[in-house]
Amino acid sequence: MKAGIQTRLLFTTTLVLGSCLSLAGYILDRSFQASVVAGAEQQLRLVTYSLMGVVDFDGTRLGLSSDLPEPRLNQPESGLYANVLMRERVAGWRSPSALTTDVPFPEHVLAMDPGEFLFTEVDDSKPPFYYLSYAVSWGADDGAVLTFTVATEQTEFVRSISRFRQNLWFGLGAVLLLFVGAQLIALRWGLTPLRQMAEEVRELEAGDREILSRSYPPELSGLAGNLDRFVEHERRSRTRYRNALEDLAHSLKTPLAVVRNAINEANGSPSELLREQLARMESTVHHQLSRASVRGPVIVGGTVELAVLVERLVRALRTAYVERNIDVALNVERDLRARGDEGDLMEIFGNLLENAFKYTRSRIRITALKVSGGVETVIDDDGPGIPSHLREEVLHRGIRADEMQTGQGIGLSVVADLVQLYEGSLAIENSELGGARLRLVLK
Amino acid sequence: MRVLIVEDESALAAQLASALRSAGFVVDAAKDGEEGLYFGEEFDYDAAVIDLGLPRLDGMSLIRKLRGAERNMPVLILTARGNWQDKVKGLEAGADDYLTKPFQMEELLARLNALIRRAAGYSSPVLEHGDLKLDTAKKEVRVGSDAVELTAYEYKVLEYLMLNPDRVVSKTELTDHLYEQDFDRDSNVIEVFVGRLRKKLDPVNPIRTVRGQGYRFLSESDG
Repeated sequence: MKAGIQTRLLFTTTLVLGSCLSLAGYILDRSFQASVVAGAEQQLRLVTYSLMGVVDFDGTRLGLSSDLPEPRLNQPESGLYANVLMRERVAGWRSPSALTTDVPFPEHVLAMDPGEFLFTEVDDSKPPFYYLSYAVSWGADDGAVLTFTVATEQTEFVRSISRFRQNLWFGLGAVLLLFVGAQLIALRWGLTPLRQMAEEVRELEAGDREILSRSYPPELSGLAGNLDRFVEHERRSRTRYRNALEDLAHSLKTPLAVVRNAINEANGSPSELLREQLARMESTVHHQLSRASVRGPVIVGGTVELAVLVERLVRALRTAYVERNIDVALNVERDLRARGDEGDLMEIFGNLLENAFKYTRSRIRITALKVSGGVETVIDDDGPGIPSHLREEVLHRGIRADEMQTGQGIGLSVVADLVQLYEGSLAIENSELGGARLRLVLK
Repeated sequence: MRVLIVEDESALAAQLASALRSAGFVVDAAKDGEEGLYFGEEFDYDAAVIDLGLPRLDGMSLIRKLRGAERNMPVLILTARGNWQDKVKGLEAGADDYLTKPFQMEELLARLNALIRRAAGYSSPVLEHGDLKLDTAKKEVRVGSDAVELTAYEYKVLEYLMLNPDRVVSKTELTDHLYEQDFDRDSNVIEVFVGRLRKKLDPVNPIRTVRGQGYRFLSESDG
C-alpha cells in the first residue's frame, strides 16, 4: 500500500526539521564548548599574571615577596595549581595547593622561548587538566628564563558543558515534538476536505448520494464540480443510450413480428427458408439488444434490496402463471443488498425466475444469503431439469434446449453474459427437488 | 368473445385482428392509448391485447385507467423492449400476462384463450359440466364420449355461456360479444342458435331461458 498524503508530508517535514535542529544543535554545542575552553584559558592567564607579580627571584632562589593573590593556590587539592621552573633547574617553586597532589606539570615547557604562551589540554590524566604556560626572561641581561605554569582541573568546565548540552538537546527535542504535533493538527485540518470528498465519492459509488456537497474550499471546489458534471453526464448519456436502444428495439421488433405473421399466413415453398432466417434475425436482435442495453457495474451505481426485487418478480410471475398453481418458497434474508443497476438485476432475476416458473411442475424454492464472495441465490425447481451435456451450451451460446418453449436459451445466455459482466458466477446443477438448480453468485 | 386490440403499428394491428377473427373472436382495434381507453370504457370486452409503447397514452397508463374504471377483463401486454422492468410494471399496473415482440401468433392465441378461461374460473382448457365437455384448444364439444358437430356460431354461443356460468346473459350481450358490429343484430337469430344448440346437446340441457331477460348456463348439471 502506498503511503498516504498525511504520512508523506509528516515524514518529510519531520526529517527536514530534525536534520536542521541536529545541525544547529551541533554548531551550538561546539561554539559553547569553544567559549568555555577560551574562558578557562583567560582565567589561567589572569592567575599567571597575578602570580608573576608576587614571585621573587634573586638568581638562585625562587620565593614569594608577599601572599599569594589567589587563595585557591594555598588550599590543598583546590583544583588550581601552579609551578614555576627555571630553565637550568637551579630552582623551582610549587604552589601549596600542589604539594599534596601529584599534578603532572608538563616538562617540555622548559624549551619555550621567552614571551611565549602555551595552552594545553590534557584529557587522559586523572583528572583531566588545562594548562597555561608562560616563559619569561627574568632580570635585566643575564637571561634567566622562568616558566610559569598554571593548571586547573577540567571538571567544572566539563560539567558546565554537559549541563549546557543537556539543556540544548532537551530544548531542541521539545521544539521538534511541538512542531510534529502542530504539523499533525495542521495536516488533519488541511486534509479534512479531501477526506470528506473521498467519503462522499464512496457514498456516490454506493448510490447513497446523488451529488457532492457544495462545502469545499476553493482549491477543491473545481474538482468537486467537475466530478458532479461527470457523474451527471454519465447518467444522462446512459439514459440517452438506453432510450436510443429501446427505440431501436421497438422499431426493429414490431416489423419483425409483422413479417413473421405474414410468412405464417402465406403457406408457400420459400416460407421455410424465410422463417429460418427470420428466426435468426429475431434471436440476434433480441440477444444483442439485451446485451447492449445492460448498464453494467458502473462506477456510480446503487444497491438493490434483493428481497424486494425478488418479491416483485415472483408476484408478477404468479399473476402470469396463476393457473399453474405453483408453490413458491421464498427464503431471502432481509437487508440483503446486491450491488448493481436495478434494471440489470431485474433482467438477471427475471429471466432465471421465469425459467423456473416455465419449467417447474409444482414447486419453486428461492434461497438467497450472504456468502464470503457476495450474495448467493439458489433457485430450485421440480421440473425436468437441464441435462448436464446441454448446460454449457445453454449458458454460453443461446441454443434452445427445448425448441417448444421460446426464449429459454436466449434468456439464460443473456443472464450468463450479464453475470459475467458483473464478475459473478452462474452454474446449473441438479436440484434436490428433482429439477434444475441455478446457483447465482453476485459480488 | 370480444377482444380489444390496442396497437399503433397498423400492419401488426391488422395481422392481429385477422388472426383473432379467424380464431372466432370479435375484434375492435384502437391505434393509440386514448382511443383504446375510449373503446375500453365504452364497451364490454372479454379480453384486451395492449402494446406498451403507444402514442398519446402509453400502455401502462391505459391499463391503470381501465382498472380504475373497473374494467376487469384480462389484459395481455405486448412489449417490444422485452425488459423485465416493463413486464413487472405492466403486471403491477394490472395486466395478466405479457408477450415479447416478435411473437408467434399461435402463442398469442393460446395465451389469450387461457386468460379468458382463467377469468371465468377454469383451470383447464377443457371446460367441463357433467357429461358436457368443451375443448377450447381444439374447439370440440363432446357429450359423454360422443362428439357434437356445431357450427362456428353455435360453438361461440356455447363457449360464451359456459365462460359466464350461473349469470343471466342477455341476447344483446351475446350479439355484442359474438358478432362484429356490422352484422345483423336481429335477436331472433340468437333464439334460433340456442334452439339448435339445445337439440344437439340433448340429453344434457344446461341452458335455461330466463323469460324476458336472456339465458343462464347452469354449472350444476341437473339435466
